[in-house]
Amino acid sequence: MNQTTSPARRRWDPIVRITHWSIALAVLANAVFTEEGSGLHIWVGYGLAAILGLRLLWGLVGPTEARFAAFWPSPRKAIAHLREIRAGEVTHHASHNPLGALMVYAIWACLLTIIATGIAMAGAPPWTGGERETEHHDTVIAAQNHQEEGEEEGHESEEGEDGEEGPLGEIHETAANLLYLLILLHLAGVIFETRRSGKQVLLAMAPLGR
Amino acid sequence: MTTRARSIERKATGISILVALQALACAFFLTDLVGDIAAEGIGAHLIIEGMAAIALLIAVVLGALQVRSLIAAARRDETAVAVAQGALAELIRLRFAEWQLTAAEADVALFALKGCDIGEIAAMRGSAAGTVRAQLARVYAKASVDSHAGLIALFVEELILPQERC
Repeated sequence: MNQTTSPARRRWDPIVRITHWSIALAVLANAVFTEEGSGLHIWVGYGLAAILGLRLLWGLVGPTEARFAAFWPSPRKAIAHLREIRAGEVTHHASHNPLGALMVYAIWACLLTIIATGIAMAGAPPWTGGERETEHHDTVIAAQNHQEEGEEEGHESEEGEDGEEGPLGEIHETAANLLYLLILLHLAGVIFETRRSGKQVLLAMAPLGR
Repeated sequence: MTTRARSIERKATGISILVALQALACAFFLTDLVGDIAAEGIGAHLIIEGMAAIALLIAVVLGALQVRSLIAAARRDETAVAVAQGALAELIRLRFAEWQLTAAEADVALFALKGCDIGEIAAMRGSAAGTVRAQLARVYAKASVDSHAGLIALFVEELILPQERC
């Protein structure tokens, strides 16, 4: 697992890179640009779920270093890795390094929680303007109305969520905040690792070029 | 050689994008389906819609497998070329030493092996064509061949499976 055959270290395969950057964009979109509970927000969430599903499928059928087996979470390895960092040794990992692996699973767990609570709150995607959902999902209506009115944003959506989907909304938001924290840690880890073992860390995930 | 590995990689990227888009479409259809079933119950139309969604899901899985095999092919290709390059470089070094080529002759012989003609070699080494011709003639004599093609064939022949010799 610690060996790479080629002199230049490999980049991640296209599926890993595509899923990584699509998820990053989707998280950014839903964190910053889309209105909470709006149709677009829900749509982006469904798209994110599909892409995450593809990445998880890739964890079963992909090339060796993209599979779960290559970066199984292991606290023992993570501690050994920490010791290595302290000792100033640099070993190359064909897959995620042990700390990075823990981060991957933490982020996935957050995303899955966010997706699950999001789906529970929103129901099926709202592309029919709510006519179908009238019978089943009151929240979606709230979201729809909200989208249609498009005024007085923050307040209404909070009211709607808190009123009807209290605990789910809470979990959704807490998990999202935790996710932002993890993303900051992830970025810090990437910066640290890039300074420690070279630009290859960055280049391996670069969306384009070689 | 590396361009071939590169083009396989590009193909893998293209199919990956396709697979990602299919996954998105598949999520769209499946959630639509679930919503429809919840609203209307199962009908003939929804069964067909469901089968279409499942077909798309299968396409995603097959596409992913296709990408995996392309990646594996690109890597095998890279490894094979690297191994062959290493082996050929070693063989060339051994033969040149065996024939006791001088440094200049080894240089000229290497260019000749790469397929350069006398004019090109002379231009690259900044010497006269006559000099290169004379150096090449000595290389041919030391290697006991009588032509450019003969020199190249010596190496190619040794890299081809022994039982297929003529």
